[in-house]
Amino acid sequence: MNIGDIAFLIPLLPALAFVVTLFFGKKMYSGGALLPIGAIGASFIISLLITINLLQNPDQVIHQSVHWFAVFNLGILIDPLAAVMLTMVSFVSLLIHIYAIGYMEHDPSKPRYFAETSLFTAAMLGVVLSDNILQMFIFWELVGLCSYLLIGFWYQKPSAAAAAKKAFLTTRVGDIMFLAGIIILFASMFQAFNGEIPEGVYLLQFSEMFNSIDALSGMTATIFGMEVGHLTLIALLFFGGAVGKSGQFPLHVWLPDAMEGPTTVSALIHAATMVTAGVYLVARTFPMFLAAPDALLVVAYIGGFTALFAATMGLVMNDIKRVLAYSTVSQLGYMVLGLGMGAAVGLEAIGVSVFHLINHAFFKALLFLCAGSVIHAVGTQDMRQMGGLGKAMPVTAVTMLIASLALAGFGIPGTAVGTSGFFSKDAIIETAFVFGEHTHDWIPYIFAILAALLTSIYIFRLFFMTFSGKSRSKTKAHESPSIMTVPLMILAAFSLLFGALTIKPFINFMEQTFENNVISLNIEHLATLGNYNLVQEHGHEPLLILWLPVIVAVAGLVISYLLYYKQVIDISKVVSRQNPVYRLLYNRYYQHRILTELLATRIVYETISLSADFFDRKFIDSIVDGTGKVTMSTGNVLRRIQTGVIQNYVTAVIAGVGLLIVLLKLIVEVL
Amino acid sequence: MENILLFSPEIILAVTAIVVLFTGLFLKTEHKSVLGYIAVAGVIISMALTLSIMLSMTTASMFYGTMVIDSLSQLFKLIFLSVALLVSIASIKYVSGSRNTEEFYSLMLLAVIGMMVVSSSNDLITLFVGFELAGLATYALVGFEKKNIVLLEASMKYFIIGALSSALILFGMSYVYGMTGTTSIPGIAENASLLAESPIGLAAVVLLIAGFGYKMALVPFHMWAPDTYQGASPVISALLAGASKKMGFIAAFKVIIVALIALSADWRTIFAVLAVITMTLGNVVALTQTSVKRMLAYSSVAQAGYIAMAFVVLTPTALAGGILYIMSHAFMKAGAFIAVGIVGFMVLLGNREARNVDHIDNFKGLAKRMPLTAFSLMVFLFALAGIPATAGFVSKFVLFASTIEAGLVWLAVIAILNSAISLFYYARVVKYMYFMPAEGGRVSEPAPFAVAMIIALAAVLIIGIWPEPFIYWATEAAKVLLI
Repeated sequence: MNIGDIAFLIPLLPALAFVVTLFFGKKMYSGGALLPIGAIGASFIISLLITINLLQNPDQVIHQSVHWFAVFNLGILIDPLAAVMLTMVSFVSLLIHIYAIGYMEHDPSKPRYFAETSLFTAAMLGVVLSDNILQMFIFWELVGLCSYLLIGFWYQKPSAAAAAKKAFLTTRVGDIMFLAGIIILFASMFQAFNGEIPEGVYLLQFSEMFNSIDALSGMTATIFGMEVGHLTLIALLFFGGAVGKSGQFPLHVWLPDAMEGPTTVSALIHAATMVTAGVYLVARTFPMFLAAPDALLVVAYIGGFTALFAATMGLVMNDIKRVLAYSTVSQLGYMVLGLGMGAAVGLEAIGVSVFHLINHAFFKALLFLCAGSVIHAVGTQDMRQMGGLGKAMPVTAVTMLIASLALAGFGIPGTAVGTSGFFSKDAIIETAFVFGEHTHDWIPYIFAILAALLTSIYIFRLFFMTFSGKSRSKTKAHESPSIMTVPLMILAAFSLLFGALTIKPFINFMEQTFENNVISLNIEHLATLGNYNLVQEHGHEPLLILWLPVIVAVAGLVISYLLYYKQVIDISKVVSRQNPVYRLLYNRYYQHRILTELLATRIVYETISLSADFFDRKFIDSIVDGTGKVTMSTGNVLRRIQTGVIQNYVTAVIAGVGLLIVLLKLIVEVL
Repeated sequence: MENILLFSPEIILAVTAIVVLFTGLFLKTEHKSVLGYIAVAGVIISMALTLSIMLSMTTASMFYGTMVIDSLSQLFKLIFLSVALLVSIASIKYVSGSRNTEEFYSLMLLAVIGMMVVSSSNDLITLFVGFELAGLATYALVGFEKKNIVLLEASMKYFIIGALSSALILFGMSYVYGMTGTTSIPGIAENASLLAESPIGLAAVVLLIAGFGYKMALVPFHMWAPDTYQGASPVISALLAGASKKMGFIAAFKVIIVALIALSADWRTIFAVLAVITMTLGNVVALTQTSVKRMLAYSSVAQAGYIAMAFVVLTPTALAGGILYIMSHAFMKAGAFIAVGIVGFMVLLGNREARNVDHIDNFKGLAKRMPLTAFSLMVFLFALAGIPATAGFVSKFVLFASTIEAGLVWLAVIAILNSAISLFYYARVVKYMYFMPAEGGRVSEPAPFAVAMIIALAAVLIIGIWPEPFIYWATEAAKVLLI
């Protein structure tokens, strides 16, 4: 049997586990946790076998499709990109589920928790292996729904309910853009086929989309007097979807608030599922971006800006999970920036970006689970009340240190020594340098290198505040049970070693995504359509450039060490309400005021909604109510005709016959 | 060479009916539930045979051209048999403990045979005979509980209007025969110009529409339907709404569309008027009903109005849409009636003397008391309203889209507005089931009812989610109508 034949089980097993756990979880051991764990474990094994098979036989990309309705299909496409993502998602999700047995031990609604996380994982796996964009969108929405349910898991807390709503509504903005992109894509392709679609051709299949790029690149539309290519429009709308899901500026606001759910949910959202969906969407449809003029530049700038912008806010947060949340936003910025660098390096961009995505999944899941372990121990999320936990929680402290080093990107250039974050983040910064050298546009590179410095500062600030110094907590901290620490150690091993072992083969493997038995594209040709001038050869950067990311990382560590460990200057003087810079950062650039209070509340709600509401109530409602009243009273009158007396019924039949003849006669006369 | 095996489904049913009748004579009352299983087995075998004939795309004309086998006839037979399957499974519970079980099942099987003869007939005489066979059997079935005065009244009304309608049909047929000199449906179509030139043709068309309109429950020939559906037991209502009513449609398809196509200008106008009146009146009156069964009866009238649009539009897609609608409606309505039957069972379990068991108050908090029934009924009701992912949406979509395509936008608008009205009374039941507090504890559904309901639920969802094969077969069947 071919392993590809059971690929459909990958999302199906967790989905089934969802159903069973939801209904029967209460009666099972540990709230039914074992069932999702088993299902996701099986998904992981299948994904891993597929990946290994693909590594050995690159031409065995799995593609299955069945007709759905009209010109749509349901299908599975597992190429290198999807295979790697499937393996990562199922693996990280598996570890988080195991850890959650310990973390959620005392929660009464465990069955609901495990059912929902299982569905969340299933939806994400579905996003990854879809072979057409419509199916992907359906799973994409399912991911959004699950995030809503899980962020608001403790819905009794008003803040959790609000955060869930915020996440749902903010990502919805992106989802609408994504849907609009799909609609425009479909309409354009329909036009490209002149409305005659041959049997067996499914317009929204990725392979068919890529084949039509040539036809689409000729189409343009005029928007606000600007001539915009359909491809650019579609690509940017897709990217809009990614901005929402992957928390890029300006739709990143939901992500830090999404901390209201259980920490394991945060880990799942930030590492394995949800936020990576956006990056994956861009990587999946990368050929369209490559053929769309200017699209990749927008991607690069948004990504670079987000990386820096979020890192500045990470510097001043006191809630341990919020620091990590801004760190996620910032790291996602890196990934998006990496994708944008495709403008210079072509397909290699997918390689470096997805490589960072995978490594980030390991160390960010680790960071969150460590944070969860700390919160579990001290019962607060405020770092000002922690400190000195290193002695009480050695395993957590060491694994947290490894994760921090990986996030900051410690390693020695030119050797195989380094954390996984070092290899992947460096690769992105390096491509940004190549891009700068090639186009003389240095902005992405500057964003990237500054963000690297800030990353190192905020993560070690977090580390020193939590684990070093004197204890500021009232409760006696203790190490977490082994069901929680074992996943930490596994993730730590991956954070430490994965990058060094796999970087070269990984990036080569990714490049086969668009060069295999299912999809085979001429990348140079696509780049010419998009007016991108690709670099043919690179890898001879000056030594200083290779070392610079490490230098800034070390500098960040030193700064944090001096400020938060040695405390050479009194931080409280800087950190005060009088300092305008601090105030700006601490209030998160007043985003809440601008976006929520001004834009959402004042403008949209008070001005537009309320006036629409007035119109609706006074005008539309009275029409609707009136219609309803008239209809109901007509119904009351008409039901009296139904007397129950059979003579009346017979009369009605005969009268009906007579009336019909009269009616027909009339028509005959008139015509 | 005529291959009699093509009628093996009917023969099997007839044999089953006789076997059930005679076995019943020798069984004690408490053992009679076995008869239900025999009937179910007969229906299933018959379904399998019908399906195999349909899939082999056999066409044949037999018995001197009075009977035909084609995709249209086979598809309708499958619809009738599916409803018969649901009804006979559900009836295992309904007639348990009755002394006359064997009569119930053999009558039901005979009714189905009658319907199957109608769908295969190619001649006015065979068609009428089948029509009457189904009619007579169902009259008796409605009055099955001889001591229940409500049932007897329902049966009586049904019978009297039925007899009147049979008279109208015969009257119409005699005009047709008189003008064209033949009773063969293709023969009439050939000579229809004779009819079209004479005012008698008009009279014939009107009489036939009135006669078939009674089975289809088109306003104003519908008045028996609410009383009968409400009075009869839910399983019989399911048979009437799901199958017997569809026999009216297939008969009208054959006699009016195929035979009298030459007069289409006239009868299209009639159907346009009837369709609009029927759907509007059905929906508007359904709004104010407090009996769920009566509400379903009016909804059934309204749905007949939608299906009648196929006569007006008369394009291949519209006919396919109409046939698809007939198919979906058979499952949605039969399922809904069975679900209501389960609720009635639940109420009677609490209080043997309860009256008005189908009153909407009895549906309060059903989601807590019988989650499976509540969920299924919700799906059936939403399907009737035409919510996506159900069979009702697909069939409404095909039918309404074809109406717009044919340029009859006004008709489509009226139909869509009607659908919007209908959502109100369907959703009201859902509100009662899900958002009102339960009165009474958890009750588990009797297995036969539950099995029948789940089959109908599966059919409604399968057609809704994977409509392609069903649309394909409906299109194939529609091709037969418009040669």
